[in-house]
Amino acid sequence: MFGWLASKRSATKGPLDDDEAPLRSPIVSQVSRALSPQVGRGSRTSSPFARSPIRSRSSTPLGTAPLGVRDFSHLLRPEIFHQLSPLSIPPPFRNTTKQPTPETPISELLAQGHFRAAAIASVQALTSSPVSATIAAAHPPVDPTDHARVFSLLYIRLACLCLIDSVPLAAQEAKALEDLNQVYYLDPMTGAHLMPWELRLLAIRLQTMGFGDPRRAIMSYYEMAREAHLQIAKAAKAHENSDIELWKRRLAELGVKVAGALIEMEDLPGAAAHMATLREHGQDGKLATAKALLWLHLGDVDGACRCVRDGKGGEVGEEVVLALADMANGHFEDGLKKWTELKAALDKKGIQDEMVGVNLAVCLLYLGRMQEGRQILEGLVDEGQSSRTLLFNLSTMYELCTDRAKALKARLADRVSNLEPSSHGWEKTNADFKL
Amino acid sequence: MSHQRYPSMDPVKEPHSVSLKVLRLSRPSLVAQHTLAAPSELQSTTGAAADDLVPASLAYRSNSGTNPDPFLLTPILNLPPSFGSAYVGETFSCTLCANQDIPPEPPATAQPAKAPSQKKSIRDVKIEAEMKTPGSASVQKLLLGPDSDESKSPTQETGAADAAGADGVDLESGQTLQKIVNFDLKEEGNHVLAVTVSYYEATETSGRTRTFRKLYQFVCKGSLIVRTKVGPLPYNNTTTTKKGSKQAEEEKQQQKQKRRWIMEAQLENCSEDAMQLERVVLNLETGLRYRDANWIVSESLRPVLHSGEVEQVCFVVEEDGKSAVVEDSDGRVVFGVLGIGWRTEMGNRGFLSTGKLGARNTR
Repeated sequence: MFGWLASKRSATKGPLDDDEAPLRSPIVSQVSRALSPQVGRGSRTSSPFARSPIRSRSSTPLGTAPLGVRDFSHLLRPEIFHQLSPLSIPPPFRNTTKQPTPETPISELLAQGHFRAAAIASVQALTSSPVSATIAAAHPPVDPTDHARVFSLLYIRLACLCLIDSVPLAAQEAKALEDLNQVYYLDPMTGAHLMPWELRLLAIRLQTMGFGDPRRAIMSYYEMAREAHLQIAKAAKAHENSDIELWKRRLAELGVKVAGALIEMEDLPGAAAHMATLREHGQDGKLATAKALLWLHLGDVDGACRCVRDGKGGEVGEEVVLALADMANGHFEDGLKKWTELKAALDKKGIQDEMVGVNLAVCLLYLGRMQEGRQILEGLVDEGQSSRTLLFNLSTMYELCTDRAKALKARLADRVSNLEPSSHGWEKTNADFKL
Repeated sequence: MSHQRYPSMDPVKEPHSVSLKVLRLSRPSLVAQHTLAAPSELQSTTGAAADDLVPASLAYRSNSGTNPDPFLLTPILNLPPSFGSAYVGETFSCTLCANQDIPPEPPATAQPAKAPSQKKSIRDVKIEAEMKTPGSASVQKLLLGPDSDESKSPTQETGAADAAGADGVDLESGQTLQKIVNFDLKEEGNHVLAVTVSYYEATETSGRTRTFRKLYQFVCKGSLIVRTKVGPLPYNNTTTTKKGSKQAEEEKQQQKQKRRWIMEAQLENCSEDAMQLERVVLNLETGLRYRDANWIVSESLRPVLHSGEVEQVCFVVEEDGKSAVVEDSDGRVVFGVLGIGWRTEMGNRGFLSTGKLGARNTR
């Protein structure tokens, strides 16, 4: 399965597999190779921006740097990062006491769903460019050799850009990471990748977009899958059960990510063939639902229903797919009945599911009952729901029911801005309200 | 879909009390999500597990486990974001919304000098719709359905549509009269959807009937190119000789009188979207039968055609020996038509049938 992509990462195989002789010659040669790119990079880091005292440590002569210390100054250049304009934020979100202060720690910003603020704060720490002493205290400048913090901040930056609908900016910024498999990103002692797993996953997707090469993602996911296989074998040898579970979970996630990448390449039959090879990880029927959704997306309603039949998709999962199948078949009355019943059943159990409400409302619009649909969506906003899809659909209904939709959308923005900030995200963009 | 307001037939220069809004109802689409693992900063403060996802990266909020995360597609539906492309063979669905849209009264203190304006009530609001197709000089009146449900029989729909179309509706402030039209697209080229809204605008002392018309123009493009080829098929004796001698003899006898042809067709997707072929069937004239030699027989998956891709299908057509086949004046055997049904994203349907196909007389 992985034979065809063996070559590039073979250098890591020795250190990974052989614990007994960490200082054998292949590693030494790897270290020297790893250090060489820095010479070239050194010239590029000379930026017109003032350096903080901490940053200037990166100019330590290479020869005296302790073995294993990597300098990532080249990833901290201010010109890598884009300015985020507040103009795309509707005024009710800008002019409110709910906006965090610039001193709020990043972890709190994330917990409160202030992703734009977290994206800005992480760059202040990365580029050592705080605008005041108090902010500097809140987001202390990063040490370019502290790879854990550098990559943690980079992940926050890129993830937050994605969360505020600035994926194209994130894709540009991720290009600065260059080849994710370069030896410079590997620990010279253990050969382990210095980046956290989640950053690698995200960077792969963003670089795929940034470089405009969709196949790149699939190849990279397979390379990571190979690594996961090695780690599972290693953990099994050491009887580290929690590690085995972790890597198995990661491997399963990679399988699902490959399917997603194929869908984004619009190779839907390829995605379906790939998904047929995946096995359910757990008993919740998630994978069966995922397969059914792929068939629906492709237009094969029968295929979708087959995936969840006989309880394969779980009780709720099956009902959801069958209701979607009715709508895909143009049987909106039947779909409405299913969504209504499902909503009643979930309400009875005290389970909230934004999707069921939104789909019920969409179904009503197709039946010529938009007014009822609008009320359901407004009810969801009152309950504190604010997904992009909910806001988009409600804004579309506003456009349909008056010439003065702008006022209704502005009022909606105002209502959503009054919701309590949470990790589900709080600040929205103009585009979310079709403004 | 570009639109323009028709030069007003209404002598009154005041703005209308009713607005018209339209949305093409292609199928709603599944929303995609890119799940993100929680950053370690968040994990340390909230005690989240290592494999926890950022809740905001999910497409919607739920505690019922319906979200197949970390999969890309989710079951939550988005309304069509734009008009998209219209293709021959599809059903064009569109919702028309006539809204009572009188601007709210400005506060009384703002214009103390002006006499209080009379309260208007809007009665008897009606919507009519017509389609102008490229091939015909006249317009085609469209039935206004209360919904776009395809499960209802046409008679039911017509009945409901008639009832709804005949009677006008009174609209209070902010209320909407919503109608849905369906139209089977059969021709390439410019189509114009013309929508006429009429209503009675009554004040306490007087009233008048007002009408306006809006035109929505869109281009319908070709979806599928079908090329067919028919050739005579020589008799196949190997299958019959295997059987019992008497039965084989009889069948041979019958076969001798039966003509057989092979009909091949190339189906090329000339639209911009991927399509999945749902069924390709022959509707034959009397005296003929056929055997399908395609994916159903080979038990393979339905073929998916991306833009520009071609699928080759094949049928064996033969005389059924029960009744005479239809031949035209040239002695050409008339087969019938080839019908092709396909589905696109989220089950959007398309169906095309060819003109009459046939084969030269080979007798």
